[in-house]
Amino acid sequence: MLPEAALFRTLADPTRRAVFERLGDGEMTVSDLRSGFSVSQPAISQHLAALKAVGLVLERRAGRNAFYRLRPEGLAPLAGWVDRYRTFWPERIARLKDVLKDMEP
Amino acid sequence: MSLESQPETVVVDADLDEPPEKVWRALTEPALLDRWLAEAKDKAEVVESQPGKSLRLTWRDRDADGGLVESDVTFTLTPMIGGGTRLRLVHDGFVHSSCMSVLARLPHALRRPRPTSLGGLAWAA
Repeated sequence: MLPEAALFRTLADPTRRAVFERLGDGEMTVSDLRSGFSVSQPAISQHLAALKAVGLVLERRAGRNAFYRLRPEGLAPLAGWVDRYRTFWPERIARLKDVLKDMEP
Repeated sequence: MSLESQPETVVVDADLDEPPEKVWRALTEPALLDRWLAEAKDKAEVVESQPGKSLRLTWRDRDADGGLVESDVTFTLTPMIGGGTRLRLVHDGFVHSSCMSVLARLPHALRRPRPTSLGGLAWAA
């Protein structure tokens, strides 16, 4: 499985995150994506490459055009990471309750 | 104890019988903390502390490859009538919430189903 830190780090960049979110509207070319952003086309391409490398975006080539779309299941490891804490914390708070019961008044 | 479910945030509320001062000691005295949250030694760093009221931590964890994942843990203590404490734990700051909200805009087939179990890959398609 992909290491989660890379995924979190990839989505920490605000522009890259905005590119990722924009693709939530559907499949797009780099120039479709560029409108609305104040960054250059090569910069957008770099963000797409980074998103592709961690499995958050898929590329489809048709002739001279490349189309990009989200790979939503790419977020699964990230949600899995957070979900571990959904069992971790209630278990720890149950232990805290035991510790509190044992403490001197 | 109750849980709120948002994909990028963990919230746990617990009603404790003991007063906030006592809960605070269990959260901050190393010997007590070690008995219920031994991980804090390696993973937690206090960012802000309002004694008896709230404690904010940076939580540092490592993935399988040793990559660092930083997040925020906040404990809030509220006194309850009758002497107990309402403890709220919020663990967030893993990722911007907008990343996860993208999922809500996708066609139905691609959306995340309700998680059926904890801890697994909840929506790997």
